[in-house]
Amino acid sequence: MTNKPLISRACAGLIALTIGLLATSAPLRAHHGATNVYDFSKPVVLKGTITKFEWLNPHNQIYFDVTDEKGTVSHWIAATEPPQVMLERGWTRRSLKEGDEVTVYIFAAKNGAKVGNLQKIVLADGKELTAAGAPAAAAPAK
Amino acid sequence: MRNRLMLLGSLSVGVLTFTLTVSAQAPKGATPPPQAANAKPADLSGDWAPDGRRGGIGQSLSVSDIRGTKRGAEDDIPYLPWAREKTMSERTSTGPDPQFGNTTDPQVLYCEPPGVPHIYLWPIKHRFVQTPEAVYILHELGPFYRVVWMNAKHPEDPDPQWWGHSIGWYENGDTLVVDTIGFTDKTWLDQMGHPHTEQLHLTERYKRVDANTLELRMVIDDPGAYSKPWNAERNFTMSKTGFLRYQQICSVRENKRFEDNLAKPALNK
Repeated sequence: MTNKPLISRACAGLIALTIGLLATSAPLRAHHGATNVYDFSKPVVLKGTITKFEWLNPHNQIYFDVTDEKGTVSHWIAATEPPQVMLERGWTRRSLKEGDEVTVYIFAAKNGAKVGNLQKIVLADGKELTAAGAPAAAAPAK
Repeated sequence: MRNRLMLLGSLSVGVLTFTLTVSAQAPKGATPPPQAANAKPADLSGDWAPDGRRGGIGQSLSVSDIRGTKRGAEDDIPYLPWAREKTMSERTSTGPDPQFGNTTDPQVLYCEPPGVPHIYLWPIKHRFVQTPEAVYILHELGPFYRVVWMNAKHPEDPDPQWWGHSIGWYENGDTLVVDTIGFTDKTWLDQMGHPHTEQLHLTERYKRVDANTLELRMVIDDPGAYSKPWNAERNFTMSKTGFLRYQQICSVRENKRFEDNLAKPALNK
């Protein structure tokens, strides 16, 4: 056995989050590797417009714009668990599309960056897409 | 000249001793019991998801510490000193003290195969394809698969490989026993950094308890890392939602995209 050399902090960071999310079961915040990075005490609620929805490993990425009362637009990105886990939760790659008006519940980064982990999205018609949950393949521990 | 001969002799003895030592340390593995060839096969058909009511996936193989909160001090892992030190030197990416951005988990760092039993600590399903010659265990991660050669014998000196060399047999009409040796030492046993050596001899017993329940009981026997064999377990439930609906592949390129867009911004101070 030998000690493994370190790769770049950035790459390791990504993968840590990836594994954290993959290895995690519901509730999402309970034990994934980013509990020290995101504020899971309560979600930030944002009304915005979807600009892109990427359905891919290691995590789906939801891009959306939020316009404040002064007309200033900010760009946000939310992550979900991996596609195969989200399929278990009823999502598909067509669950969101560009232009959708949505209300996003997101556990945002503690450092103020406009990124975070998705809790749920409510579409304009009231349909709710929940990111957390207990999929068959990643159910919570007792 | 005499000194050279003595040196040569010493070297030869040294090499011979080393060879014998290494040979002696190679795990032997088990052989199928004589009656196994006629045993009734266990029915392992179906897709098997981690049982959230009975442990889920967890982060540690320790039965007493599935969340890894007592890493290095679990009362059911009989570490050799170096293995404990090695475990504690690792920086995990999950568990109670995730080293976000600084992990040493080789499966995370290099997209290497997790191996077994590490594969069972992922939120994925598993399927068994049973034939008289072999049982193929398919995993939604990778997608990787293992081949369990039924009623066969291990090679005398198997090459160390990521998934080892597996043989198997049935017992009691409800259990598949899988015996594996020939592992590399490159994988972690779980996500908490528990190491193993090439001496690892893993025994897995997959028991179909009822229509919806599969139990896996494991014995980790690695005299290179642990003072005695120890037990681990995972439980699975039948899933009806479909197998491999999406291929969970570790891609450095996709990881990089995720890193740039989400991980880095969240990490910036």
